[in-house]
This record gives sequence, C-alpha cells and structure tokens, in this order.
Amino acid sequence: MSHRMPRRVAALSAALALALAGCAAPQAGGAPDDLPADWTEVQEAAQGQTVSLWMWGGDDQGNAYVDDVLAPAAAEQGVTLRRVPVADTREALTRVLAEVQAGTDDGAVDLVWVNGDTFATGRQADAWLCGWTPLLPHLELTDPDDPLLTEDFGTAVDGCESPWHKAQFAFVYDSARVTDPPTTLAGILDWAQANPGRFTYPAPPDFTGSVFVRHVLYDVSEGHEQVPAAFDQEAYDTLAPRVWDRLGRLAPSLWREGRTYPRDVTALDTLFADGEVDMTMTYGPATLTDLVADGTYPQTTRVLPLEEGTIGNASFLAIPTTSGSQAAAMVVADLALSPEQQAAKADPSVWGQFTVLDLERLEDEDRALLEALSASPVVPSYEELSEGAAPELSSAWVPALDEGWRRAVLADP
Amino acid sequence: MSALGGRVAVVLLALWFALPLVPLGLWSVADRWPAGAALPTQWGWSGWQQAVAEGGLPALGRSAALGLAVAALATPLGALAGRALAWGRSRWHGVSAALLLLPVALPPFALAMGLDVLLLRLGIPGLVAVVGLLVAYAVPYTTYVLRSAYAVTDPQLEDQARMLGATGTQALRTVTLPVLAPALLAAAALAFLVGWSDYVVTVVIGGGRLVTAPVLVAAGASGLGNEPVVAVLSTLMVVPLVAAVLTAPLVARSLEASRTRR
Amino acid sequence: MPRAPARGGARLLLPAVVVTGAVAGTATVSVLMTAFGLLPLVGAPTPGAAAFVALGGDLLLGLRESLVIATLSTLLAAAVGMATALLLVRSAGVRRRLGALTATVLSVPHLVGAATVGLLLSGGGLLPRWLGVAPTAWPELVGGGWPVAVVLELAWKESAFVALVVTASLSRRLTDLQEVAAVLGADARQRLLRVTVPLAAPALLASAGIAFLYAFGSYEVAWLLGRAYPEPLPVLAQRLFSSIDLAARPQAAAAALVGITVALAVAALAVPLLRRWGVGR
Repeated sequence: MSHRMPRRVAALSAALALALAGCAAPQAGGAPDDLPADWTEVQEAAQGQTVSLWMWGGDDQGNAYVDDVLAPAAAEQGVTLRRVPVADTREALTRVLAEVQAGTDDGAVDLVWVNGDTFATGRQADAWLCGWTPLLPHLELTDPDDPLLTEDFGTAVDGCESPWHKAQFAFVYDSARVTDPPTTLAGILDWAQANPGRFTYPAPPDFTGSVFVRHVLYDVSEGHEQVPAAFDQEAYDTLAPRVWDRLGRLAPSLWREGRTYPRDVTALDTLFADGEVDMTMTYGPATLTDLVADGTYPQTTRVLPLEEGTIGNASFLAIPTTSGSQAAAMVVADLALSPEQQAAKADPSVWGQFTVLDLERLEDEDRALLEALSASPVVPSYEELSEGAAPELSSAWVPALDEGWRRAVLADP
Repeated sequence: MSALGGRVAVVLLALWFALPLVPLGLWSVADRWPAGAALPTQWGWSGWQQAVAEGGLPALGRSAALGLAVAALATPLGALAGRALAWGRSRWHGVSAALLLLPVALPPFALAMGLDVLLLRLGIPGLVAVVGLLVAYAVPYTTYVLRSAYAVTDPQLEDQARMLGATGTQALRTVTLPVLAPALLAAAALAFLVGWSDYVVTVVIGGGRLVTAPVLVAAGASGLGNEPVVAVLSTLMVVPLVAAVLTAPLVARSLEASRTRR
Repeated sequence: MPRAPARGGARLLLPAVVVTGAVAGTATVSVLMTAFGLLPLVGAPTPGAAAFVALGGDLLLGLRESLVIATLSTLLAAAVGMATALLLVRSAGVRRRLGALTATVLSVPHLVGAATVGLLLSGGGLLPRWLGVAPTAWPELVGGGWPVAVVLELAWKESAFVALVVTASLSRRLTDLQEVAAVLGADARQRLLRVTVPLAAPALLASAGIAFLYAFGSYEVAWLLGRAYPEPLPVLAQRLFSSIDLAARPQAAAAALVGITVALAVAALAVPLLRRWGVGR
C-alpha cells in the first residue's frame, strides 16, 4: 500500500499538468456576438439579475454612495446591485483575465470601475464586452465628441465602457506651511529644491506617481503638444533622459534625500497628513473635502492650480465578456449616467465626483440640479480645475516611463 | 533564573506583545486624531458605526465560518499525518514531510497565480476552492503541532490499553486523545486562524462572492483617513479569539472535573 | 493482535499529502510553465528563459532582500518565542497573563499587524508622538534603508507562533521530567540545558522553519512597511503580476519560481535535521 502512494500523487500531478497545458490557448472575446437589439430587451433580460460591481473600496464616501444611493435605485429597476470592495482595481482585472482564459460564461465580475491601464490591459486580452454603450438611453446626454470620453489614455473607448465621472489631477498643499505657493510644475520642482525634505512623489507604477512623472515629461518637453500621444520609441529616447536628468537633480532635495520614495499615493498622503511633507497630489480631488472635514488633513489644505493646466481623465464602468448578468450590468451603467445619479454623486457631501454629462444637453430642471450643488471650500469647481487641461498619453507610454523611472531614478540614486 | 529576573522578563515580553496593539485600540475610539497629537482630540464611535454600515458584522460571520470549516478539515488530516510522522517508520516519511511543507514554501500569491485559471476551468465552485486551498495551507501547521505532540507521547500507552482489552478505537479515544487534547486544540486554533485571517486566496480564488473581514480591512487600509474603521474591524477580529482563549482554561477545567467524576 | 489503528503507516499520511501535494504541486507546475513562457495569458507560447534574463539583477537583489528579512525575523522570533514558552510553562500565573497576549497577537492577521506596526513606528506614528520626537528626527524604521519595521512585524507575529508551538509540545512532560531531574540533583541551569531545551528543540526548530518560510514568502508586510527598492521577491512578483503589461506575467512567475526554489531548498535542509532531532527524543 505505502509504496503506491507517491506514484498516485505523481499521476495526479501529471494529470493536472496536462489540464494546465490545455489552458495555453486564449479564448477569443470582446466581440458583441449576441447583444440585445434594443433597450426594452435589455430591461426585460435584466429583471431579477444580480450585478457584482467590483470597485476600489478605500473611499468610504464612494462605498456609501453605491450602497445607499445607487443600489436602491437599481433595486427599483429590478436589479440587485452588490458592491465588491477591492484594495486595487487590478484585482478585479486579474479575476476577469483568469475567467477569460478559463472560458467562463457566468463569472464573478459583472461590472468594474476602471480607466486607463486596467481598461487597456483588459482590451489587450479581449476581456471587455464592446459595442453596448450606444444602447444606453442616457448616453445621449454626454458629448459624443468629448475627447475624455472617446479615448481612455489613448485607447479608443469603442463602446467597451460607459462613462461614470471625470477627474482632474491636482497638487495639494498646506497653505499654513507653504506661504508663497508655486504656480507651475517647474515652480514646484524649484520650490522642492529650495525646501529640502519637504516634497516627494509616490514611486511609479503607483497610478498617481506615474501621472506625476508624465507631468514632468510634459514640462521638460516644453508642453504636452510636444509629446506624441501615441507611444513612439524615438520620442521616448529623446525625451525620457531629460525627465530622468531633471528628477535625478531633484532627488537629493526630496524627502529622505530621494533614497527612497513613498510606495503609493496613500503613503504620500499619510506623510502629508503627518506633516512630514508640505505637498501631496491626487487624481481624485473630490475626496479632499471629506479629509479636511474629518481632521485627517489640516484646515489650511488647498488645491494648487498650475498655469499650464494638469492632466485630466474620465473613469468608466466596463462589463467583462465573462459576466452572466450583462443586461443588468447595462441597466446599472445607464442608471449611473442619469442626471439624478450624476447630481447626487457630484454633491461634495455625498461623493463629490465631477459629472460626465454635457450640461447643454440636459433638461432645464436636471441642469439646475447639477448647477445648484454647493461648492466645496477646499476644492475648486471642475471648470477651474480643468482649465488648460492636458490629455493623457496613450497607455503604452505608461509602462515604458514607469520601468524607465525605476531603472534610471529609483535604482540609481 | 531569579524571581526578579523572571518578573522583568515577563514585563518585557508583555510589552513586546502588547505595544503594537495600542494604536489599534486608540484608533478604534478616535473620531479625530490629528498629526502630532499624542492622543485623539475627539473620542467617539464613528468607526464602529461605519464598520457596521459597511457590513462588518456579516463579514465577521463569514470569516468565522471559513475558519471553522478549515479547522474542521485540517485538524483531523494533521492528526493522522502527525501520528504517522512521529510514531511510524516508513521510507516515504522524508518525501511526505517535504510535501507537507510545500504549501508553507509557496507564497499565497504564487498559488493564486498558478491556480486561478485552472480552478475555473475545472468548474470547481469558488467557495469549495477557497476552503480546499486554505486547508492545504493549514495542514502543515496542524501536522507539525500534532507531530510534536505525538513525539512526546508514549506510543506504548495505546498498546498497554489494548493489552488490557480495549479495541484500537477505544484506546485512541480514551488514552491518546485526552493526552493530545491541548495540542489538538492548538492545531485547530491555528487552522482556524488560516481561514479567519486569509486575504489573498479569498479575493483571487473566491471571486468576490465571499466578502470576509480581511477583505474589508484591506480595502479600508488602501485609502487614507480610514484608520478608525480599519481599527474597529481589526479589533473585532481579535476580541472574540481573546475571549475564547481566556475561557478555554475554564472549559478545560470543567471538562476535566466531569471526567474525573466519571 | 491487530495493529490497528496503525501507529504511523503511510496510509495515515495519504489524506494530508494528497491535499497539499495536489494544491501546491499543481500551482508549482503552473508557475514553472508560466515562467518559461509556456502559459501566456494572450498569444502563442514562447518557450525560453527570456523572463529571467529580463529581470536580471532585480532578481538577485530581491532574493537578497527576502533572505535578510526572513533570517533576521526568524532569529528574533525564535529567541523571543522560546523565552516566552519557557516562562509560560513555568507558572500558571504567567500563563494566564502572557498566554492571552500571545494568543491575541497570533490572531491578528499580518495585514492588520503591518498596518498597526506602521501606525506605531512611522515618522508620524504613536511612538515618536509619545516620545516627543519630530517626524523628521525619527529613525527611518518604516520604508528606510534597512527593513526594520518589516522584520519587527514578522518577528512580533511569529514569536507568538513559536511560543504557542513550543508550549504545546512542552506542557505535558516537562514538569514531571523537571521534578525527576531536580530529585536527581540537577541545578536550574542543568535542568534548562539537559531537560527543557532538548525537549523543546524539535518544536522550536519546526516552528522556526515554518516562520522562516512564511517570512520569506510574505507579501503584505514588506509591501506596507518596506522601501520601494530593492523589493523582496514576493513584492517584486506581485507588482509584475498585476502589471498593466501582460508580457510581464512570465517575469512575475520567474520571481515567484526563484522564491519557491529557495524556500524548497531551505525546507529540504530543515526536514532531515528535524527528523534527526525528532527521532532522537
């Protein structure tokens, strides 16, 4: 008996290895093979379905908005909305990619809050359902030519994700400690060199740190117009060394002499909250109001506008091809675009996320809803923030710059 | 060791174990604790309210169920293997011991990386897969606790019981198991903890259908200003176990009393 | 007389070995195939060691970082855990007070442990606040040049584990043997060295081995408390695994594979040692 055991184990392992080998062929996906013909059909199919919305769970206002505002409205339309909190959106993508590779058709993810790199990676693997957004009645309230909504980090949206809200990158400072704030990115870098140890940025590939590096790229290239949006090796080879040179000169003046960097934006935010540095940065200025109100950030926290503008983007809701509740996911995505939901979400006391709707396309009363929102004492309006906004580079630039930064700046201090 | 030296050692060790828990306790009742302040400037229960609002209680229930399932499966497996490794002689012991250590050597993310696609492809339900993988993680711990316990238990006790007419099962039940009870409890506790505190396997393999307490903690810890709710959830994860540990000796004593009465 | 239930036939090992072997074996095979380009997420397989070449020096730096973290935290955990266990078995009073504490620490998930150690030791943390030290004057324990906070967190949690395992193995027989030794004229030092330590050694070695392997493969602690570069292998692998560049996945598997290989080598060294100690009880 005993001598047979290892052989049995070996046989089992071999069988499993064979099963694994069968996984090598990826599934074709992404094609709108059997999309419903019209919206009524979608609504009928959605009845009684449950939608699992995977989203980053580190923002309690966002969690509360989905649980207390969006989910009850979805229930009225016959759809159960479940929020799945994750520590990083990439966890949702990892799950979807595994499901795509396994050929699942009733997966655990029905809707994901995505943009940029996660969206592009999913497209690379044909993980998103495409061509469904034109079915959504509320999509008509957005501007079809709005560049933020037609392209997501240079990847064409192509109806593979439905817009949810807009965001604008912003530098944040404590006006009690920085009495004469700079007004340009070059000014911020000079300020950092004049005030050693009081500034740093998160290490890419952290999302925010990565955007900071792109701002520096725009600055050393003398404007975002000089950087080709699509990735271009030649442009990279010319421009990237200038970025590394500028950041390398900056490094000795950074927090801990640039020997190390905060691992992510949350670590940088903590340094700012603790008073170890005087500035932080965010791609979600909406959360600032709450952080000041609850005492995490000082009362004197302010947004620092840049003369040349900052990078802006939009975030979206995407449906995986492996979802078994696609109709209900579309109902939720449409609901999320309705003026009532967009207005509720834009209220700083609820979540404070900027709307994707084009105010000129709205009925008067709906427009009034959005215009009546009280302004936050900390965060300027979207119009102010997004003035002179710069576009995102294509997502092919992102890993190249992230990896380049790790080699040229991080590993070689 | 002198009595004084012993007392100093106890105090130092108590400090070592307790100090890192202090921030959790304070943050769980802090409504506002600005930078630089030695203590919260405003005490309150907002973290508790938010933890309840985010579904903290059912999440704790799910964590407990997961821990119990893992303990219920991994403890007997570990007892069998521990007995074999400590008392038996077989040329497969080396190989088996290595195989039983394998999950410890395999980081959870590597496991998730390796198995996420395969499990989906085999059509194994997420919940079953999560329990199965966590049992595999817990078995090395239960095996080694029980192996150590068997190693210091005399195998001849059972032989003697059988010589006196007990069947094998009776000998096991009345002689070996009572001697092993503390180790069995320790092994079950460790296995429970594997399920109770797991994050990576639950998220990657469980597919989000299983929102346990660590999932909420990780999501909360990934954002700024969530210290109170994270501290409350963490406290809630620790308190029931401490209560169990504190009451366990009482239970054991009453069990022992009833046994001697019999 | 029948020998059932068996003392320790391979039959008893089978269930545990099948569960761990199937899970761990399959995952290892899958990681191996991914690392050598045989299981791409998208596109055709490209067999080869390209992933290892692409990682180059980062792999060695990561391995060094992982070994430093695992070795230091294990040594500290074993020392503190053993000391705790000796005090725990000595008196019921200590067992009541310290036992509850160690069990508490054991029940804290590493994720929470890392968060709370960060709240304690970072520049704006509780200790500098209580000691009145400015954040900038505080030593770089979190995310600094040496992984101090990482080692302390792992040692803190794992010392509780070592204490529990050693205590469980000692509790029954120690008092009897101590008494016998005392009757035979052994002094306290002799009783410790000749009775307690040999009795505790197998459990100490086994739990220290497990603690080492855990620390070596731990992700969340080094991620939350460590520096950005160089990263220990699990952090390196996890970053590459979730990279937006799908081609980085083989590299992630390569890093994981190096970690698995070293961990297995350590286990292969520890198991015979363990058997010798265990058998020679």
